[in-house]
Amino acid sequence: MTVSAVPLSVRPAPSTPQQWWTLTTRMILPTLANGELATQIIGSIVFTVGFYLPLKNILGAVQPMSSYAQYLTPLIVLQAIFFAAVSAAFRSAMDALQGINRRFRAMPMARLTPLAARMTASMYRCVIALIVSLVCGHIIGFRFHGGPWHTAGFVVLALLIGAALALMGDLIGAATRNPEATAPLLLVPQVTLGLASVGLQPAERFPHWIQPFVRDQPLSQYLNALRALAGDTTPAAPPVTWAVIGPALAWVGASVVLFTWLHARVARRP
Amino acid sequence: MSLISETSLLTARILRRWSGDAATVAQSLLFPGFFLVALNVLLGDGVKRVTGHSALYGSVPLVSLIGATSGAIIVAVGVMRERDDGLLSRFWVVPSHRASGLLSRLLAEGVRIVVITTFVLCVGLVLGFRFTQGFGQAVAWLFMPAVFGMAFSAVVMTIALYAQNALVPQATEVIAAVMFFFSTGFVPLDQFPKWLQPFAAHQPCSYVVEAMRGLSMGGPVAKPVLGTLLWSAGIAAVIAVPLTLGYRKASRRD
Repeated sequence: MTVSAVPLSVRPAPSTPQQWWTLTTRMILPTLANGELATQIIGSIVFTVGFYLPLKNILGAVQPMSSYAQYLTPLIVLQAIFFAAVSAAFRSAMDALQGINRRFRAMPMARLTPLAARMTASMYRCVIALIVSLVCGHIIGFRFHGGPWHTAGFVVLALLIGAALALMGDLIGAATRNPEATAPLLLVPQVTLGLASVGLQPAERFPHWIQPFVRDQPLSQYLNALRALAGDTTPAAPPVTWAVIGPALAWVGASVVLFTWLHARVARRP
Repeated sequence: MSLISETSLLTARILRRWSGDAATVAQSLLFPGFFLVALNVLLGDGVKRVTGHSALYGSVPLVSLIGATSGAIIVAVGVMRERDDGLLSRFWVVPSHRASGLLSRLLAEGVRIVVITTFVLCVGLVLGFRFTQGFGQAVAWLFMPAVFGMAFSAVVMTIALYAQNALVPQATEVIAAVMFFFSTGFVPLDQFPKWLQPFAAHQPCSYVVEAMRGLSMGGPVAKPVLGTLLWSAGIAAVIAVPLTLGYRKASRRD
């Protein structure tokens, strides 16, 4: 008869949901104390007033909707969600750098549990980002005009985009293992895609050579879909049709598939 | 004599580490480059319509400053890591001048910012930016972001030296964002709401931008240059003692 080093009755029974929850709280609790949550909230406010106040006159005159707040708020929401993804990248890079991922792999735990916990924490950041940015938008004058179903669609689509971006951030963090570099690295797509999108002014206002890019890049597709779901008092908002929402959903789906596949490759690295 | 040679040695070490890290160099140059192009594509026409002048004379300085400050955060987090790895403590026990460690950091920041400014200038020249005021003015233009950028770096480094968590220095990005959004490099002063105009006109980033606008396109130079120098000297005076104490504390940890 073999005797186990640890009596069977004392052995913990690993439960995946409980492990997931423990690892999730490990990511979320520090954000309350270390200023991450505060930074995220202040950051959203700064970006709202930072785009709105200086650009209200110069660009507000050239957009078709009822107010510049109505036009601008989808971009503010996406920027806030992007910041949540940058935090995700930072945390993921720290975990990869400090070797805790390697320790997790030696533990009796499902392969995907740490990633699932990080993604849950990312979704928590996304929800905060969405709430704060919508409050900011409401204060400058943004309103939902599409009824409860469209409003719910707005929230769901924003969170789906957040999940795709967080997965990208997590992947970049895990792949580079360089916390210092992650935020500046993600700033490049965030700022250049943000400025060269339909978020601040319509595509026709851009120089001709860049108009096709501005119109068709993923951020603009997200903005069109969010704007359609938010609606407007004028008919200038895009209609809620598959032609408008479909491209956004396709980009989200494609990026989730791509980033998950790449993640599996990175995770297999020694 | 030893202070100068040790400082230059340590400065060269920091710059070699920076230039050896291809990813950091690429992002600290590519990001401002892309940003300038995107900003010009977005607002170039609008600003020209409002002011009659090319937006580049404000946006090239603004983007140089953004490159300076976003890089300062990477550098400060790097100092935290060297503290936590014990490298600063090792330097402390080497018989070298006490000031060389800190001076070399600031000097390296100055060099880094001039390099970034030069790169942004090259992108600006492609887009249509031109110097019209003379050679001396162009040289002075090149060093303006470094003057304020070194003061800003000193602030971020001080915060980093007292912080345990790398997220804290990153929070200074918010302060930087406020300075950039509400500066005259982003949109002309009269585009801001009335109550915001005094802040937008007198905050340091606007002084640097206006000084550089005067040195390149023409216009008032003395007042904005003086404003830049006063802001930078003021920040340096406030930060000098906490920075020195923080560096000493970080170097003497066991």
